Amino acid sequence: MKFKGKSFIAIVLTPQIPSEEWFAEIDRIMTRSPGFFIDRPIILDVKGTKVHIDDLEGILEGLNQRSIRVMGIDGIAGTRLKPGMPPSFGGGRLTTDVDVPGPGGDATAAPKAAKVARVTPAAGEAAAAGDPETDDLDDDTNGDARSIVITEPVRSGQSVVHPTGDVTIIGSVSSGAEVIAGGSIHVYGALRGRALAGVSGDEQARIFCTKLDAELVSINGLYQIADDFGADVLNASAQIRFENETLVFERLG
Amino acid sequence: MSKATVVVVTSGKGGVGKTTSTAAIASALAKEGFKVCAIDFDVGLRNLDLIMGAERRVVFDLVNVVRGEASIKQALVRDKKLNNLYLLPASQTRDKDALTDEGVASVINELRMYFDWIVCDSPAGIERGATLAMRYADEAIIVSNPEVSSVRDCDRIIGLLDAKTVVAEEGGRMPKHLMITRFDPERAKNGDMLSVDDVVEILSVPLIGVIPESKDVLKASNVGLPVTLSDEESPASKAYVEAVQRLLGEDLPVTIPTEKKGLFGKLFKGRAA
Repeated sequence: MKFKGKSFIAIVLTPQIPSEEWFAEIDRIMTRSPGFFIDRPIILDVKGTKVHIDDLEGILEGLNQRSIRVMGIDGIAGTRLKPGMPPSFGGGRLTTDVDVPGPGGDATAAPKAAKVARVTPAAGEAAAAGDPETDDLDDDTNGDARSIVITEPVRSGQSVVHPTGDVTIIGSVSSGAEVIAGGSIHVYGALRGRALAGVSGDEQARIFCTKLDAELVSINGLYQIADDFGADVLNASAQIRFENETLVFERLG
Repeated sequence: MSKATVVVVTSGKGGVGKTTSTAAIASALAKEGFKVCAIDFDVGLRNLDLIMGAERRVVFDLVNVVRGEASIKQALVRDKKLNNLYLLPASQTRDKDALTDEGVASVINELRMYFDWIVCDSPAGIERGATLAMRYADEAIIVSNPEVSSVRDCDRIIGLLDAKTVVAEEGGRMPKHLMITRFDPERAKNGDMLSVDDVVEILSVPLIGVIPESKDVLKASNVGLPVTLSDEESPASKAYVEAVQRLLGEDLPVTIPTEKKGLFGKLFKGRAA
């Protein structure tokens, strides 16, 4: 028999008592992105709040109504929990914040509600970082690697999808090809296809390319098509970033 | 096993000169003394038999062989001029769904035993016929015109060559050669056509030959002779022969056609007008 270890990034929810306002925030997140909590490990963090067990029961009930399944509770002794509650859970390490979907204004309040920790199971080897298959470009390259490198041109009709981090391409991105990244996109070659950076809501993401001849570029959902590119950046080395709800194009070098 | 090499001539787009190139390459290889078989994969729209002047001698075809209705030897048509050049024609009355993966695999495996070179003429498109034509190839010749839509379609095809072929699925890398056809130096110079450099840069595949736009090609097609057999002196024929030498591993610099007509041609034109 073999026990495998795997690590996942969990969303850590820190409830506030009274919980009405907190639930209202959760509801706002869910209306903006109905899939946000689906299939993600969720931990409830009650550390330092000395939460009353009845309040905790109410919070779990409220989350249950919203189909948010809590896998464990951090910061409470297992003996205090009632039967049927998720188990007590500890030992997480903090990582970066999870970006909460939504328009900038509303989202400012949200990051407080959602923090992230890396949950490392006690047993087993470290998680196998997703090994991106550069050969099989048609497939989505999912994985928990922060960035992937593609060492060949991305051809028309191919798409490189990496929602969790940066994508670096050594070669050109052809007309009719697309690169979709959760983080930034770096193209050491001509960018002639589409590049969509920061698709998981990261407005810090940027697009870099040696030669800008793209059909469409997008950062954090805001896009611009080739017709709207300035003549000074066309066919030049350029970077594109997101600033004040617009895309800023700059020549490099 | 055999040392046969299976080459697919493909492009994605129609009308760029796949069939003409297949015929020219196959006959140039045969003239070098190799045993060569050209296969027409364009089931339903076959043309290679016409270009090779074999249309009146077709009895059985690829679909018959794939379905086990005829043996390969019954279906192969020998060339009139070169007795080491054969054609496996496509069926004109069926469609591409008549081809099966296993059937094509067994046909190609059998042909590998008899021939040195097997040249597959791919149909246009990226559907069944085209994917089966490339599936069992060892190398690919990508035919493009110096024009954007053709180049983009080639790019798509290159992606498929790296994903949907047996070589790719086994983790290998299929050698690819770029052949630019219907190149008109004058129009490229004026900017009406992409330059050779542009096409090579976009596709990033090594160039094997640039075939000039030529009346000789059309003339050759109409008399049913590959241009490499009908008019050995024509620039198009020479370009094909050179490309084949590169395919055989010779290190020749690629000659890019220039406006050679020069003074004579221009004077003549001027006078005629």
